[in-house]
Parts: sequence; structure tokens; C-alpha cells
Amino acid sequence: RAGGAAPESERVTKMSIMSYNGAAIIAMCGKECVAIASDLRFGINQQQTTAVDMKKIYKIHDHLYVGLSGLATDQATLAQRFKFRHNMYELRESRKMRPETFANLVSTVLYEKRFGPYYAEPIVAGLDATNGYKPFITGMDLIGAMAPTDNFVVCGNNEESLFGVCESMYKPDLEPEELFEVIAQCILAGVNRDCLSGWGGVVHVISKDKVITRTLKGRMD
Amino acid sequence: MARRYDSHTTTFSPEGRLFQVEYAMEAISHAGAAVGVRTDEGVVLAAEKKILSKLLETSVASEKMHKLDDHVGVAVAGINSDANILINSARLSAQRYLMTYQEPVPMEQLVQTLCDQKQGYTQYGGLRPFGVSFLFGGWDKNCGFQLYQSDPSGNYAGWMAAAIGANATAAQAILKTEYKEGMSLTDARRLATKVLKQTMDSTKLEAEKVEMAEVSWKSDAKQAVAYRVLKETELAELCDQANKEAEAKAAAGKK
Repeated sequence: RAGGAAPESERVTKMSIMSYNGAAIIAMCGKECVAIASDLRFGINQQQTTAVDMKKIYKIHDHLYVGLSGLATDQATLAQRFKFRHNMYELRESRKMRPETFANLVSTVLYEKRFGPYYAEPIVAGLDATNGYKPFITGMDLIGAMAPTDNFVVCGNNEESLFGVCESMYKPDLEPEELFEVIAQCILAGVNRDCLSGWGGVVHVISKDKVITRTLKGRMD
Repeated sequence: MARRYDSHTTTFSPEGRLFQVEYAMEAISHAGAAVGVRTDEGVVLAAEKKILSKLLETSVASEKMHKLDDHVGVAVAGINSDANILINSARLSAQRYLMTYQEPVPMEQLVQTLCDQKQGYTQYGGLRPFGVSFLFGGWDKNCGFQLYQSDPSGNYAGWMAAAIGANATAAQAILKTEYKEGMSLTDARRLATKVLKQTMDSTKLEAEKVEMAEVSWKSDAKQAVAYRVLKETELAELCDQANKEAEAKAAAGKK
């Protein structure tokens, strides 16, 4: 258009598709355990909060969980696809997938849609049963670039905030109960500055012999 | 006369027979027997192992029994490589249904999908039919525990008890007399073992020659079903029982 600003009625702010629904997910490594936490908000078109019990973390098997942020329909569909692929793997190999193997599968599934991606960013958290239940976590972007680490990974709308709280509160080699405290405080604090995530939280702490799942009561705003 | 009509799978003979399908069934009649018994508590599948060499690596996978999904298992009789193709196909089909409807595939739908695939090989393509018969055992919410049998023609039927493979007709006859409505799962396991013993070549049944799997409630809570393969110890006990029963019967008969 030639010269001058567009009239106000025609001005439209561009919104990222990744902010349409809203999410915040953290995973942390502890001593022979991992924890993965998410918020529970489900919003539509950024403004309307429609549900406060939205599942963003999915169990693949007893020692493997995957959390997905981003567009809700894509994260739900991806979770279903991953379940499909893991079921087939388990039927053919008569064993469950290692977290690292699963993370590579997730990466491949995402990259297959490189030029028309799923608008979701996953976090994989688990314990490697073939290697002494060693903790494994990794985050990924929406086209499957993995970033495995031995401390923590975050994803969601307000990553800076989540990184900030984790950086200050995280310590290596925490026991399951301590890890729960740290990750719970991190997720509740991290979502406070973000209007698109929050409205409660859920935490799974995965150890060799059990998984403890707790729902968090947070600020319902 | 038959010679002219049996080389093409997709041609009827003047008598209205599909020879290739019949020849496939003939191949299956030489394979290890498999027996299935359905009860209200679960479905039992038992099979005779044909490959018994000591050199065989006993891996996790089994020769005759395969899991198709958490709620369905299948026993195979026939050409194992043909079976593997169909089993993979059935597994994918079950997962696709689960993905779309977020609930486990109803048994008959799974069986029908697989049988439709088998039927295709009797009508188009000019490829030979699959030389496999299956016994499907499983559970779904609408019809409870079910047992289905399918053959190379793509025909299938639901049964209370059925047998495939070697001596299937003899096994079926025994099942007809011995099967009782309202049988318990324990009785079904015993019946399956007994029938296998009577149709197998050997006089004494040994646990290494037999495979057994079942789809039953995971616990008394009856919240979920699971496919499980019976352990060696359970098999040994069942075989022992079957052998003793047979001996007692033989002794009584001699008197």
C-alpha cells in the first residue's frame, strides 16, 4: 500500500499459532527419577479459558511420559500417533521403548512434516530400563530438533519465565520428593506472568518402581 | 479335469470350486493343531508346536500365538511367513481403529477386516491365497468374550470352541461332545489341553510341545482384559493332568 498507516479498522495484530491455546511444561532430572509437570489451562483464541483440566502430558509406558505444548489439536493428535507407534513397537519387539529411542521417533514424526508442521513442541521424560533406569529428558522444537540435557527442559508460551525459575531453583541429584517440590514450585511460579498458561497444574514423578501423580492447586487466573 | 482349473487362483472350476483355496486348506491340514475354547471368563487358545529342535533359540516371540492388541490374541495354523504378513496387517488395523475412535477395536470388525484382505487374494490379482487359518480370541465391550475362526477363503465364523490345523475334524468332534455351556476358564484350559493331547501324535503330552495363551480379566475387579501367554509351570501342570486323566481312562477301559 502506498504511504500512510492503514485505518484502525483494518489493523490486525498477528498472533502466533503456538499461542492460540496456551501451555507450560517442565521436565527435570533427579536422582534415579524424573519429573514432568504441566499447567492445566485450555483456552481458545487466546482470550477465552474453556477448561481447567486439559491434559498435556501423556503416559506412553510406566517409565516414559511425553508432554506437548502448542496448538491443542496438534498436541492431542500427536499424542495419539505416538501411542499408535509405541503400541506397534511393543507388539513387534515384545518390549517397551527406551526413552531415547522414543525421543528419536518423536523427532522423526515431526520432521516428516517439515514443510507443513504440527504446531506442537514436545518434551520427553523417562527412565532407561536397559541402562539402570538412568533418567532421560529432552525437549524439541516443532520440527524435531532434539536438545537432550541432564538438568531440565521447558516448553510453552512463556519459556523465558520457565527457564528463569528453573535456573534459580534447580539442583542436581534431588530425591523424588524434593524433586516434586522444586518442579511444582517452578511450574506454579513460572505460569504466573503468562496469561495463557496456569489454572492449576499436574506433576508426575517417575521412579524405578512407581509413578506419583499429583494435581496442584494454583492461582485460578 | 481339475488340472485345467487349479493353476489360476481366481477361476472357478466347472463344479464351482476354487482349487487354490482348497489346496491352501490342504497345506494347513499338515500344520500344527490349534484349539480355542470360549467361556464367560475368558478365551483359551492352545497350540501344538511343530518346531521342536533343541537348537532353536527360545526368544520372547512364540511360534503359534500372537498378540494383536491388548484385548485380542490369535493362534496360527499354516504357513508362518504368510501368517506374519496378516498379523502385522491386523495389528496396524487395530491401532488405526484405536487412533480414530480412541477405543479398542471390536473383535468382529478386526476379524472381518483381515478376512476381507484374505478374500481379495481369491478374487483379484492372480496371487495365491494365504495358507493360514486363524483362531482369534478376545473381548470387547459389546459382545464380551468371543472366539472366531478364519480360513484362506476369507470365511469366518464365531465359535464356542473350534480347532484348526492337523486333525482338526477329530478335534472338533471331541470339542462338540466335551464342551459345556458356562464352563469356567480353568475347565476350558483343561479341555483345550485334553483335546490337543488326543489329536497330537505323541502318547504323552509334554509342556515343551505345547503353547497356550488366553485373553481374560487382569484381576477380579474385571476392569480390564489382557492377553497373556501361560508360563511353563502352568503348562506342565495342565499336561500332567491331561496325561493322568488319559492313563486313568485307559486303565478303566482295560478292566
